Amino acid sequence: MSITQLSPVFTLLAVFAFAAPAHAAEPDELLNSKCSGCHARTDDGLQRIKDSRRTPEGWDMTLVRMAQIHGVKYAEGERAALIKHLSDTRGLAPSETAAWRYALERTPGVVESPEDATLAEMCARCHTYARHALQRRTQEDWLKLSHFHLGQYPTTEYQALGRDRNWWEIASTEVPELLADHYPLDTEAWNEWSAREHPDLSGTWRIAGHAEGEGPYHGTVEISAEGEDRYATVATLNFPEGRTVVSEGNAIVYTGYEWRGTADADGKTIRQVFAVGEDGNTLSGRWFDADNDIDGGTLTAVREGPAILAVIPEYIRAGETAEIAVHGVGLDGEVSLGAGVDIVETVSADGNIVVVRAMAAGDAGAGRRDVSVGDASASAALAVFQSVDSVRVEPANTIARVGGNDGPLAKVPAQFDAVAYANGADGDAGTDDDVRIGYFDATWSVEPATEIAAALDDVEYAGEMNTATGLFMPAAAGLNPERPYSTNNAGDLVVKATVDDNGSEVSGTARLVVTVQRWIDPPIR
Amino acid sequence: MRGPITLLAIAFAGGLMASAAAPAADYILTGQKPDQLVLIDAKARSVAAKHTIPDAAPGVLTVTPSPDGKVGYAIVNRWESVSGIDLDSGEQVFRADFSGGDKRVKAMFGMDVSPDGSELFVFLSPVSLKAGEYEVGDTYVAVYDTSAGVGAEPVRTFPAPRRTAILAVSNDGSKLYAIGWDVVVLDAQSGEQIGVHPIRNWGRQNFTEPDVLDVWPQWSQADVFSTPYFTIRTDKAEDDPAAYAMGMLTLDLQTDEFVMEEYENFEVIIFSTVVNPVRRNEVYGVYTQLSKIDIEKDELVERIDLPHTYYAVNVSSDGSELYAGGTMNDIAVFDTETLEQIGSIELDGGNMALSSIRVLQR
Ligand code: HEC
Ligand code: HEC
Repeated sequence: MSITQLSPVFTLLAVFAFAAPAHAAEPDELLNSKCSGCHARTDDGLQRIKDSRRTPEGWDMTLVRMAQIHGVKYAEGERAALIKHLSDTRGLAPSETAAWRYALERTPGVVESPEDATLAEMCARCHTYARHALQRRTQEDWLKLSHFHLGQYPTTEYQALGRDRNWWEIASTEVPELLADHYPLDTEAWNEWSAREHPDLSGTWRIAGHAEGEGPYHGTVEISAEGEDRYATVATLNFPEGRTVVSEGNAIVYTGYEWRGTADADGKTIRQVFAVGEDGNTLSGRWFDADNDIDGGTLTAVREGPAILAVIPEYIRAGETAEIAVHGVGLDGEVSLGAGVDIVETVSADGNIVVVRAMAAGDAGAGRRDVSVGDASASAALAVFQSVDSVRVEPANTIARVGGNDGPLAKVPAQFDAVAYANGADGDAGTDDDVRIGYFDATWSVEPATEIAAALDDVEYAGEMNTATGLFMPAAAGLNPERPYSTNNAGDLVVKATVDDNGSEVSGTARLVVTVQRWIDPPIR
Repeated sequence: MRGPITLLAIAFAGGLMASAAAPAADYILTGQKPDQLVLIDAKARSVAAKHTIPDAAPGVLTVTPSPDGKVGYAIVNRWESVSGIDLDSGEQVFRADFSGGDKRVKAMFGMDVSPDGSELFVFLSPVSLKAGEYEVGDTYVAVYDTSAGVGAEPVRTFPAPRRTAILAVSNDGSKLYAIGWDVVVLDAQSGEQIGVHPIRNWGRQNFTEPDVLDVWPQWSQADVFSTPYFTIRTDKAEDDPAAYAMGMLTLDLQTDEFVMEEYENFEVIIFSTVVNPVRRNEVYGVYTQLSKIDIEKDELVERIDLPHTYYAVNVSSDGSELYAGGTMNDIAVFDTETLEQIGSIELDGGNMALSSIRVLQR
């Protein structure tokens, strides 16, 4: 299959699923034959390529650009082989990606925290800040990236945030300096990481996490090696309300720790973007529906105990008795749920799941408790609360996109979760010492966010909120003659979650902007 | 307050119109995706001719008629070429392709013709496509001899500031205005910078740098370039609506008079404006609303909602009607007195998108 047959070309993550055997030619030869026509060979590698490091997604975006703009053609398996080789030899160390993993994981509704204000203004208005923070280059190569931008997109300096400053002058002087300062090519972290041997990940792993919009889940995954850095997986997952999913898949590990997997679950194709912990015994990240990445969940996994992964449910109300399950590996010994929470009886215990009946004292103070089972412990793993004092909606700011209507792009919905909080010692809601209780069921509604949104009746036109699940489904794409100026079904909404706390209603809100389609959706937005 | 327009200017404007001799009718000239140059009989509300521009796809950007109304110049071919089409025969009588060798060169909106029709000015932004890397080059103006035909090469070039969006030649042909961050006045012959009317660098106390983006050549009816600007008053509280001011910038291509004055608190976005050639205090702006602004009194006179967004607007020679276009593929006609919609011209086919709406006399 040639690149031109992969249409639209940004089916990038699909490439990772491509568990084809390693390419026959030596990867270095492949790189030379494909790339040296334009990137001259030097003693230490090919020009441009030797001057930068990227994540697997970052390399793939560059490879796709080499095809789209510069006409490079890849035969079947070549693109995948190049991503693997480049990520392994010119990747980022775990500590270099840690702050920016949301971009790889496609976490919905992240408001970024840029490290540098100039770079944020100059470089994060068309795409995420993470896109460049997930690369490392020489100063000279960062400068060449600025040349590419203005050379390829000459209107950059005419747009808002481009015309209010001498964009090119800044992009060609100050920006490469700042970038080389923050994100240099040569780092101790990479020297150290690239010299390491990376462990085989085969084994039985216990997993747990939060399925967005649904609740906590847990399960087991059997990982078996299928050649170098390639694995097959069989997972059994237990979701709330007895929903059980068995899922088979496979994965490739890049750069010694970047797990990229694909699995079939419930008729959907699930993508996995996980990081292997530095000791090789944990996995963490996010999985999502390949066709709808807002439908996903977080994951942590461990394979060697004793270790606690999760406590489900993660909260207990003062004065109540409830069954609490501690999930992990090698759980053996006495269970402690922290101050004010007594263990009434052990219901079951099998090393992976210990279920106890627990009672929280009526005067137990609100707070998160450390949990332990024998030698395994987890800090702040269980919340004790008297009442729900406030509710925060996650994500607090997000976007949904109109779609469908015979257009090529599906609607992009938004999924919300309600998180209950108890007031901390200061007695006020919304302060730093609030105690996060955990996810609660809520009743969902939307309201206009502004006077204009009210006047344009955005609530009516922009889409539909599922009152029970917090899933907002945007309206159809295209101009709507029923609306003033025949505008499309965009909207500016406040999302409201109302939690029933033993008869009293507590609400929280989030902001939802319903906007037009995203026509180009690269792996790092 | 903007001063009353001088008697001299009015007399001169009148004189110009009189000297345009023949009893000509107004035609609208615009472009449609992917490669159409469209001539419209304005009062008849009908398409007079559609010409296909060779190698023009995917769209038509700036459109400039020759002063005699015989040729339409259009930036086409991903902004890498300008094509001159004979408006009667539809034949391509002029063509300049900017890119060549390892250079990719794009026209960034700005284009104008000298008053005698002999020279075409285009603002260009070049990049060298080298093996494995790009190199952005300095922006410049290329001047073409309009009689050079197909395959024209510039007769001269001179540097012009980055981010220039409008090129406008003064009525006497001596000055070339490059409008971007500031209005830089260049000698149209030598390219030497002979003056500047500051916009971003206006240095007014208690005001932020004004924001302007105008890529629409809509000055030729009144010989006054006008564009709205937005500025924030730093001496007002952030929640005071008066802190967010809209102003109108005018540059008289006859007299070189340059004025920037605020006329309302920010209410709506205005993409582009046109000055009425008869009631010269009246300026009209479009986007999702049509606004009428009095630039003598510095006030908003009237505002109506438009049926959809229009990027561009122009005005009839008698100052009686407005032609709102761009964006989609219809031109809405409005009465300049009442702002009532009095007509609509359906173009069928591709959208006008960013193409200009010009009015010429034939
Ligand atoms: C036909 C010429 C050509 C070939 C072949 C080619 N490239 Fe490029 N490459 C370019 C050009 C031109 C640029 C600079 C413009 C750009 O960044 O797109 C570039 C830029 C790059 C950059 C810097 C990108 C950045 O973000 O600044 C990298 C890395 C790169 N190429 C990698 C590769 C790899 C890997 C291959 C082989 C699979 C390859 N190129 C093959 C022409 C080519
Ligand atoms: C006008 C919008 C815009 C601005 C401003 C912008 N970018 Fe980009 N950037 C893009 C687009 C579009 C691409 C995608 C190019 C492609 O791969 O096709 C891109 C690609 C990138 C890439 C990936 C390139 C690769 O192949 O590895 C990086 C890194 C990047 N931008 C960093 C920056 C930095 C640093 C700045 C500030 C100087 C910046 N961007 C400003 C639009 C923008």
